[in-house]
Amino acid sequence: MGKKLKLSGADMLMRALHDEGVELIFGYPGGAALHIYDALFRQDKIEHILVRHEQGATHAADGYARSTGKPGVVLVTSGPGATNAITGIATAFMDSIPMVVISGQVASHLIGTDAFQETDMIGISRPVVKHSYCVFDANEIPKIVKEAFHVATSGRPGPVVIDIPKDMTAPDNLFEYEYPKKVKIRSYNPPVEPDENQIERAVAELLKAKRPVIYAGGGAIASNAEEELFRLNEILDAPVTNTLMGLGIYPATHHRFLGMLGMHGTYQANMAMHNADLIIAIGARFDDRITNNPSKFSPGAKVIHLDVDHSSVSKIIEANIAVFGQVKNSLSAIIKLLETKLDQYNKDTLQPWHDQIKNWKSSHGLNYELYKDESDENPILPQAVVQHVYNITEGKAYVTSDVGQHQMFAAQYYHFDEPRKWINSGSMGTMGFGLPAAMGVKFAFPNEEVLCITGEGSIQMCIQELSTCLQYNLPIKIININNEALGMVKQWQDMNYGGRHSQSTYQNSLPDFVKLAESYGHVGIKVEKNSELKSALEKAFSMKDRLVFVDVYVDPAEHVYPMLIANHSLEDMWLSKDKKT
Amino acid sequence: MIKRKLTLIMENKPGALVRVVGLFHQRGYNIESLHVDPVDDFTPYKFIEEQLETKFKENEISRLTIQTLVSDSLMRQILRQLNKLIDVIAVSNEETTYLKGVLLDENLL
Repeated sequence: MGKKLKLSGADMLMRALHDEGVELIFGYPGGAALHIYDALFRQDKIEHILVRHEQGATHAADGYARSTGKPGVVLVTSGPGATNAITGIATAFMDSIPMVVISGQVASHLIGTDAFQETDMIGISRPVVKHSYCVFDANEIPKIVKEAFHVATSGRPGPVVIDIPKDMTAPDNLFEYEYPKKVKIRSYNPPVEPDENQIERAVAELLKAKRPVIYAGGGAIASNAEEELFRLNEILDAPVTNTLMGLGIYPATHHRFLGMLGMHGTYQANMAMHNADLIIAIGARFDDRITNNPSKFSPGAKVIHLDVDHSSVSKIIEANIAVFGQVKNSLSAIIKLLETKLDQYNKDTLQPWHDQIKNWKSSHGLNYELYKDESDENPILPQAVVQHVYNITEGKAYVTSDVGQHQMFAAQYYHFDEPRKWINSGSMGTMGFGLPAAMGVKFAFPNEEVLCITGEGSIQMCIQELSTCLQYNLPIKIININNEALGMVKQWQDMNYGGRHSQSTYQNSLPDFVKLAESYGHVGIKVEKNSELKSALEKAFSMKDRLVFVDVYVDPAEHVYPMLIANHSLEDMWLSKDKKT
Repeated sequence: MIKRKLTLIMENKPGALVRVVGLFHQRGYNIESLHVDPVDDFTPYKFIEEQLETKFKENEISRLTIQTLVSDSLMRQILRQLNKLIDVIAVSNEETTYLKGVLLDENLL
């Protein structure tokens, strides 16, 4: 055993990140983080991506985390650097995405003096982090890094902030460095293995059900449970629906897949949930976009709820059977027990249920094709854009989206057969997420097709990242579904506010996106006619080594349907502008 | 709405109290009164030490009591949300104690 390595706080931080397996950091330098940035410069293990705005850094780290399952890492300075990161931290928090955000802070002796670029980062981030640390003793940096990654990635994942006063990273104070091999936080013990009694009760219900629905969400993706979910349904042969966050955890092209449920879910998914006798919720939390009015939600269903987070169960909808643990492990336990009781289960008893679902699907399935007219006198329909993109990329691309109508069309018409390929801000609904998230995905998967389906509203919220894309040569494809309005706001105004479009249009102030893309060194293509759409998209995707911004002008009057009618049950939907269930 | 008393055993760390108080505000729960003391006699909390395989040291933990106006249906949710906070070791109301994933059917705090 030689003498322990002596390092400054900043060097210890870099070393600890490397020892933790970090390869990539997204960030933006500034005064309070300069010691750290110098340590970054003097090492070659970790790559740093310079974004153009700290919000972009958090969304890029988030996209990296969602697509890889590994924690995203962000480095920002104090004050505005820290506050700019908040929206991205909140986005990761609401969708349970593992992330570690390191923020510089003013020196310890200046804290509380209203110093230059001082802000209480621990305070301002507290409601949107899983946990946070402020470094008061540089000796603790390795331990804090170890704990932060453990907390961010275990249990229900989430963002963790480490706030580091500048003096903690000063170059002339050296400390003995050792990275902890193990981590134990006595007051943190998320469940892993399920309770056997609950598994037995769950299996008994699964064997009895006549109208079961499997309802899987983002928690199933976080737990990497796709194989277990698939195996479970090889046994059960039940219909499966996914939340917006869960898309891809069950193959969308599988004949038992109902599509997404909820606010803009498919008719058959919402009808199946409402009429089920058993709901198997897997890493899903009965969010208000799913349940509509909770008191009218699925009146005849028993609920089995698998989740790693105690507080998500029976929060909105009371669970009859709660199974706490990593949902991957809980599913394995259910499968194991089910496999010993196969003689008690007959798939054929579900046939009337499947027939019923088939009827629903054929009566009101996603059917924009019915009124699609692709002659050039008619505007391009936004659904058609997504469908062409799906066909051209053969359903294999990583798709990020922003927030609004285009997001819902993407969720409805791009059919994800694998998890971690659909990257969107579900719970927080953060406009501006799509482009930086696509950067994070492209860094993780440089040889895969990565595209961002966005709108002219959202894309302008983080448009500056086009510059980052040039610096690092990221050939992302941006599909801008341009309806010259804040489409989802306008849709609500059409439906609920007598068509009064308060502040949802731009009065011809939109930029020329083609020139804008070109000025950032990329390729821009404008599409206005149906007859040009397919070839323009094909051309964009043929340019493998260029970022291409495809600006598609679509029908500004189009709405997203189905749409749940507020405060009613899941059976009550608008199916088109003039038709209700 | 009835007045209920919650008791928490938590790590005596900077920022721990504000996480608890902030959670009440954030989730829309109400605080009627609040009292916090460092714990110097660990005898009543031997069961926690055994369950968590730890040994409390001087000045390491605090005992917090909160009176809150709350409906019965919200009570369990508050306990679970508090239990989820990483600095909170255990939380109880009159009938139950949550000790990091373990639910005990009496108030042991």
